[in-house]
Amino acid sequence: MTDNAAQRALRTMDLIPYILENPGVSTSNLAMKFSVTQKQIERDLQLIFLCGLPGYTPYELIDLTFEDGIVSIIEPQVLTRPRNFSSNEMVVIKIGLEILREINVDEPAKLDKINTLLQKINKNLDQEAVVLANPIISSPYYSVINSAISQRRQIKIEYQTVSTDQFSTRVITPYAINMLNGNMYLSAYDVDRRAERVFKIDLISKCEIGDQTDMDIIKTAQSELMVELMVDEKSARFIERNTSIVTKKELTAEGFKVVLKVSNFDWICRAILSFAPHIRVISPPSLSKLVDERIKDLQESYSITRKIGVS
Amino acid sequence: MSDQKTERLINLTLALLASKRFLTKNEIFSTVAGYSGSAETMERMFERDKDELRNLGIKIEVRGMDPLFGDDQGYLIQEESFQINSNEFTQEELLYLTMAANLWHGSALHNQSKAALLKIQSISGPIEVNDVNSPVIKDSEDSTTFLLILEAIRNLSKLRFEYKGSIRIVSPYGLYTRDGFWYLVAEDDVAIKTFKLIRINPNVEIVGKPNGFSKPENFELKKFLGDSKSDTENNVIILVRKNQALALRRRYQTDEVNSEWDRMKFKYLMADELIESLLWFASDVVVLEPESIRKKLLANCEELIND
Repeated sequence: MTDNAAQRALRTMDLIPYILENPGVSTSNLAMKFSVTQKQIERDLQLIFLCGLPGYTPYELIDLTFEDGIVSIIEPQVLTRPRNFSSNEMVVIKIGLEILREINVDEPAKLDKINTLLQKINKNLDQEAVVLANPIISSPYYSVINSAISQRRQIKIEYQTVSTDQFSTRVITPYAINMLNGNMYLSAYDVDRRAERVFKIDLISKCEIGDQTDMDIIKTAQSELMVELMVDEKSARFIERNTSIVTKKELTAEGFKVVLKVSNFDWICRAILSFAPHIRVISPPSLSKLVDERIKDLQESYSITRKIGVS
Repeated sequence: MSDQKTERLINLTLALLASKRFLTKNEIFSTVAGYSGSAETMERMFERDKDELRNLGIKIEVRGMDPLFGDDQGYLIQEESFQINSNEFTQEELLYLTMAANLWHGSALHNQSKAALLKIQSISGPIEVNDVNSPVIKDSEDSTTFLLILEAIRNLSKLRFEYKGSIRIVSPYGLYTRDGFWYLVAEDDVAIKTFKLIRINPNVEIVGKPNGFSKPENFELKKFLGDSKSDTENNVIILVRKNQALALRRRYQTDEVNSEWDRMKFKYLMADELIESLLWFASDVVVLEPESIRKKLLANCEELIND
């Protein structure tokens, strides 16, 4: 840890209200929470043991018990409450609450509480330097899914697959919700397919809570295909949106040369078409052929519908 | 790293926090443990200690103690500026605060969220994890860049960075997040612009001193964002193949054209975004109107296939 005396002083003081609220906490747990070594926590505790208020008689010193790696506070002096949130921590909380408000937009009771809380928080903010600019698409099934995760229950969903544009009914065991580029995704174990799948939450059109499951989730890797693409700089946002599957990226005179790991060609084919003509397939040839076929189909659609009018 | 100094800083903070009145330097030197040596040495020590604590965000207030002889100043840390008023939040609100902080586990702000959580848990004790299954934000921004920019916005310092191949020197006004990406709103020599954070070269730096520029008084980030998307909306009319393009069908009404196609009409803002979203459905969607969109879409495909 490379903190200076002042940083260490603040962290050491921060330990006191934390231990006060979490009596009997272990030093190893504290080390994890405060992102320092256990040794450092022990040193900090030994140090604050000697600190206190002017006078420095036993009545004025901070007092704690520290035995077998377990800590409790006997006398915190003035350190009974945590330090105020820093301005960066405030940003995290404020934007976080705004996101929660968007997610819970269908639940008036929760919404009221979040709004009241936001008012309290905003009172303590000097300026509106950071803003959540667009709503997050919420889902009426958000809380059902959430309780399914906490209770380890299965859910039965009707789901519209983006890449194939089909509806299907699935029984899944959800385990995590992620937010990526403003969308919410549900990671779950698909019981029938016996594999992990990721679902876009706003494409779930029905959701019923099912049985509790104590089945261990068997994580089987999805088959992965490697795809090499040339992406025009104008379409850099394609790469930005998909950073999680980009395994290699290199800027060349023609644009970004990237290697992606994809689970099926259908999705990547649609993406390439969306960005036409800014993404070109370098390999494999089968993908490039698929893209060409899709374009021919599209042109065909336009030519057969030529006679259909606007109204 | 000296234990002595850390100890002195803690004792100083505790003394200033516990006192109900402003303490003079002499009182501090004679009562707070850790100050010793000549008057000048103690003076130097105290000035340094005070600056270091202030740099970490501790508000040490100063007040002239003697209205006739201005030299003697008193120092104090106000409780409300130092500590969270724990009565301010109900147990349920603490739960929401926890969820709000939990959101950032996978993001550029994950260290800030961890620090905030520690403070929340210092009011509430351990929170039942069962109810706090919040989603996790995954973003691709670099936290160093993010925090540096945030600091510049707060201190009104100018920033210098490379963006799309050229060097920019800007006055940063604010940050916003949209679709999971962060954007900086800043003014360069010409106008107020937005910069996508992920495209700002990581060697961004603060140039000049704090308060290096002044933000226009009437500038409001929320308003600015409202203004910049006030483009006019246009109608698009498309054909959608039966039982296909379900994502569109869920959002817009259709009327039947024949056994194979339905028609759909809706409003759009940006031509490029519209084309991008319609091409996703490949041969299942055909643009009828406007002609400009139809032509552009077909031309884009032509260009891709002919390469």
